[in-house]
Amino acid sequence: MAKPIIVNWGGVQSSFDHEKLDRAKLYGKRQRWILDPHGQRCERAELSRDGTLLIRSGMTAQGYFDEAGAWIPNSQLVGLDAEGKQLKHVPSTLGEPQPLEGPVDAGEILDLAVRSVYVLSPEGLDPKLEAALKDGKVFRFPFCYRGGYDPEIAYLVGNATGYFALVGSPAVSEWCELQTTIADDAGADDDGDELDFEMF
Amino acid sequence: MRKIHLMNEEKRDATIALESVKERPGPTSGVPGKKLSFRRYLAATEAGTWTRLSTQAGDVAQALIDADPEIDREVVGKHVGDTQTVFLSAKGEVLHASPSIVDVLFGPDGAERERKPAADVPANTNEKESPVRWTGRRMSKAEVVTKFAFRRSVQIKHVDGLSYDFLYKMAKDLADKGEVALLGAGPKGRDPLIFQENGTPYRGFLEGRVDGPRYKLLLHLSNLELRAPGAAT
Repeated sequence: MAKPIIVNWGGVQSSFDHEKLDRAKLYGKRQRWILDPHGQRCERAELSRDGTLLIRSGMTAQGYFDEAGAWIPNSQLVGLDAEGKQLKHVPSTLGEPQPLEGPVDAGEILDLAVRSVYVLSPEGLDPKLEAALKDGKVFRFPFCYRGGYDPEIAYLVGNATGYFALVGSPAVSEWCELQTTIADDAGADDDGDELDFEMF
Repeated sequence: MRKIHLMNEEKRDATIALESVKERPGPTSGVPGKKLSFRRYLAATEAGTWTRLSTQAGDVAQALIDADPEIDREVVGKHVGDTQTVFLSAKGEVLHASPSIVDVLFGPDGAERERKPAADVPANTNEKESPVRWTGRRMSKAEVVTKFAFRRSVQIKHVDGLSYDFLYKMAKDLADKGEVALLGAGPKGRDPLIFQENGTPYRGFLEGRVDGPRYKLLLHLSNLELRAPGAAT
């Protein structure tokens, strides 16, 4: 079982067990199945362009290679910033008390590119924090699940059904001005994949 | 340029631009001073998969230790470039007849609920006859962020001077009141928003911000309520 999320607000700690929340857990899911002529489910595979190799599930892997073509083990990889400089490794925040900031402006969450949503089970909840969450207040704390070079931001919220952590990174939108209009560039028409509005 | 056909509260409509709001770029993985490329490669041949190896007689674990039968040195490590998707029958053979396609619905308990022939669902955010419209339902930002998880945001932008006025007014109205407006698609404005064929249906909440003559009109998209599994709706 994963270590709990522990936050510290005003010198008082609160602890939460956590479980990822997704659509399937709330609403179920829909899958598109391909059936063979006997009504049995087909397996999706790939064929190399030259047709010589049938690639089935489990036959490929991904990794980093240097210019000489040598594979670089994951243990040698580090996080690099835009200038190529090594970043500091951030340990996992689970099981370690994290400073809880807030209440913060609820609108901050609207600028978060949410990667994960967790439903939280309080194991020891500060009554003052509980009251603030029930009152619709929003709090922020640092989050890094496994440890790494890309720490995320988490927002702690509550409602009548429970407590939740929304985890992600800031998203960037831009101001629109009268003088700046969007060009109808036919070549830029194919950015649909970026939204990833795929079947579920 | 992606487009959305949008109608305001006064039932004026216009076709305007839509752009995705991107996440701020994060760090990359690498080794300082080395130029690396990220590639997909062949890790095993079919004969080296566990499914095949486990059918062989003898002690498979010992065979793996002694002779690495899972590694075909001729091809393992080969770069995998573009491929074509193929479907294999349940027996693992390439299909020579058209397969049938079904949509299978599962409940939250994982049990199959329904199976029906697959049907394509068209996009509905740039329909000439049915613009995306305000539903009349508004919520405060504080309320909406504790009820829904927003998985995507898109930014709505003007394409000319007239549409600037159209969008600026919307943004200012929402910003002044600190509210978001629920948008809907379809003839009655009750349907979720689908941005491309067979795309995920989303509920769309429009947020406005203004700074002098500048504005931001952000459409936050959610397909997930903040609700503990098993809790009443």
